[in-house]
Amino acid sequence: MRISAKLIGITLGSAVIVTGLVLSLVVEIRSVSTGYTHILEGPARQATEARQVQVDFKVQVQDWKDILLRGENPQDLAKYTLQFHEQEAKVKAEARALAGRTEDPATRQLLNEFLTADDALSARYQAAYDVYLNQHFNFRAADALVRGQDRGPSSLFDKVVEQLDARVAAAAAAEQAKTIRQLILILLVVGGLFLVDSIVYCSVLFGVIKRLGQLKAVSDRLAVADIEGLAIDISGHDEIGAIGDSLKGVEAALHELLAVHAH
Amino acid sequence: MGIQLKERYEAVGKEMGAVGRMKLAMLTKMSSTAAADAEDSAGNLKLVDDAILQLRKAM
Repeated sequence: MRISAKLIGITLGSAVIVTGLVLSLVVEIRSVSTGYTHILEGPARQATEARQVQVDFKVQVQDWKDILLRGENPQDLAKYTLQFHEQEAKVKAEARALAGRTEDPATRQLLNEFLTADDALSARYQAAYDVYLNQHFNFRAADALVRGQDRGPSSLFDKVVEQLDARVAAAAAAEQAKTIRQLILILLVVGGLFLVDSIVYCSVLFGVIKRLGQLKAVSDRLAVADIEGLAIDISGHDEIGAIGDSLKGVEAALHELLAVHAH
Repeated sequence: MGIQLKERYEAVGKEMGAVGRMKLAMLTKMSSTAAADAEDSAGNLKLVDDAILQLRKAM
């Protein structure tokens, strides 16, 4: 094979390897992006929504306390009662929506337990509210019925948030491990191909350098007509082989010249 | 040995002189001494005849 063909082959091989590396990295970047998007749109988003429910639940409890503290004023009673019921409905709706979206059975179970506990708490709040109104804003009697009752649902929801945070951390760790595995695979494959390409390149390069050295030695002897015992053994089907073949003609012509002059 | 080959070199020498013999040696990559030692094989004879034709065309 001609040296130029070998060099073109090696260059094309390198170009194919580099293109393959670039394409692999593009695919990997897309895969990483998709993986993290899935985490952000899934567990991470649900964790954020869960924290919002947590905050809304605390606001609901605060609204209840506002009813007890300021309910003697009819305007405040109406205002905080409305806010309390709106917040109560909001918490239930958000928790139900979250339970419907989450893919984790353990988180869904915790959310269902929260919803059950929250329904029971709503009934107690309503009973306490009735006592509060019937006993002429007796906040002590009303508070006695629900005091500390929000801690159960609140604790359940803390577990929901913890569970979702753990899922986010696990998903991110899995994504990171997957990325590292794929990068190692890409580097091994591309590194192996580069190694083969480099070995072929070095083999061609050293072959050319060695044969060029032989060619120079022959050329040096021909330049001074030192052809006695000269054997031109530079074979091959490439450019150097062709030059070696031409030098055999020069050597033969020099022999002939010396033979003619000898006669 | 290469009797016919040697005869061809001598004929070229007479026809084209020393330069012709040198050119013939260059084209065949074989001096007349080497031709005399070579076999009069069909391949060698054709090689020399083709080179002579080429030289005659170039004259």
